[in-house]
Amino acid sequence: MSTVTTREAFVHPALFYRTEQEYTRQTVAFLREGLTNGEPMAVAVPGPNLELIKAGLGSDAEGILFLDMTEAGRNPGRIIPKVLRGFADAHPKGRVRIIGEPIWAGRSAVEYPACAQHEALINAAFEGRAVTILCPYDEERLDPQVIADAKVTHPTLISGEGRESVSDAYDWQAVVSRYNQVLAPAPDAAAFSYGGEDLPAVRQFALAQAKLLGMAGERLMDVELAVAELTTNSVVHGGGRGTLALWAEQGQLVCEVRDAGRLTDPLAGRRPPERGQLGGRGLMLVHYVSDLVRVHTSDDGTTVRFYLSL
Amino acid sequence: MDAPHMVGGPAPVPGRAALEVSPLPGGRSGIRARGEISALTRPSWEQALSELARRHAGVSYVELSDVAFVDVAGVSALAVTAMNLPDGRVVVENPPPQLPRVLEMFWPGLDRIEVAL
Repeated sequence: MSTVTTREAFVHPALFYRTEQEYTRQTVAFLREGLTNGEPMAVAVPGPNLELIKAGLGSDAEGILFLDMTEAGRNPGRIIPKVLRGFADAHPKGRVRIIGEPIWAGRSAVEYPACAQHEALINAAFEGRAVTILCPYDEERLDPQVIADAKVTHPTLISGEGRESVSDAYDWQAVVSRYNQVLAPAPDAAAFSYGGEDLPAVRQFALAQAKLLGMAGERLMDVELAVAELTTNSVVHGGGRGTLALWAEQGQLVCEVRDAGRLTDPLAGRRPPERGQLGGRGLMLVHYVSDLVRVHTSDDGTTVRFYLSL
Repeated sequence: MDAPHMVGGPAPVPGRAALEVSPLPGGRSGIRARGEISALTRPSWEQALSELARRHAGVSYVELSDVAFVDVAGVSALAVTAMNLPDGRVVVENPPPQLPRVLEMFWPGLDRIEVAL
């Protein structure tokens, strides 16, 4: 491998830890290496793990950006544009080093497919960029399937003792496909079928239903904005029409748009546009305002669901 | 929104929702809009903004108290117009709540736009 390729290669290891000691030792060693290299660094992990890393680093923690991933990355779909690219793009010179832990033991079964797809898409989003992203996995508490998926979404694996190996299971596209799961219609949803003429009416319908289901305040505006983007997209690119459905489920409002379009770009909504670019923010807005976004796309059409806590 | 969905290319969007844009009365330079700013009214909004940019000198005003809704692309058009002005700023008066929300999301700290509530 030439020096140039090495400098520009994206590095994406998974760290499998079993104890707090292993976690602290490996993450702190990773960050100290970055300090030695003078690399800009960010750490986005769940709150308690942030504390472990800060304590382990001591005064070396100064100058590192720390984010609680359970907030910044609540919706895994916004981690690439907002957290990872947000940091990498702000430091365009030289390599940046990030710890990102998007999957923790409390992630729900509804969230997990979007989490796995996010981990897979990191490889596409940073291909050829001088970025290193270490993703810790709690081998003690996470489901074995999650650990198996992490070996498919990461080209490099690091054990709790720091042994590094190449993943022979690495095949990130397979995880994107596997979790492109059919989203069965909800039985008790309020639905509205729309064409181009109905875009203002479908927004009003969404607002009224969201209020009925208990949504209030600024998040009502977020519902309206996100519904406007998805329904407009159906009309302009998704066959000219679609169906919006809303319901409540496990303390969350769910809004779903079905249309005849097909999502061809797996990174749609995760690629931050240039500041002066006119378009390209619609699906990203849906990711920014939501707690979770699930997508199923096939030749028969596309379903996008976004979730907001009530 | 970009074109993540593809079914034989973009279709024209028929319109029922309206947007009326007129010059501000009095001596102030700028525009007043009424209606909604969305895919259905995109051409008239973008045309009004290019006109605003062409006449811009120092400070331009955009009065939006009769606009009930603006989408992401509508805010984007305003932000990009303001960023491309040679100097000065755009004062947006009484915008619908989506406007400051979207500005803060995608253009935090954009000093070319002042929002007056």
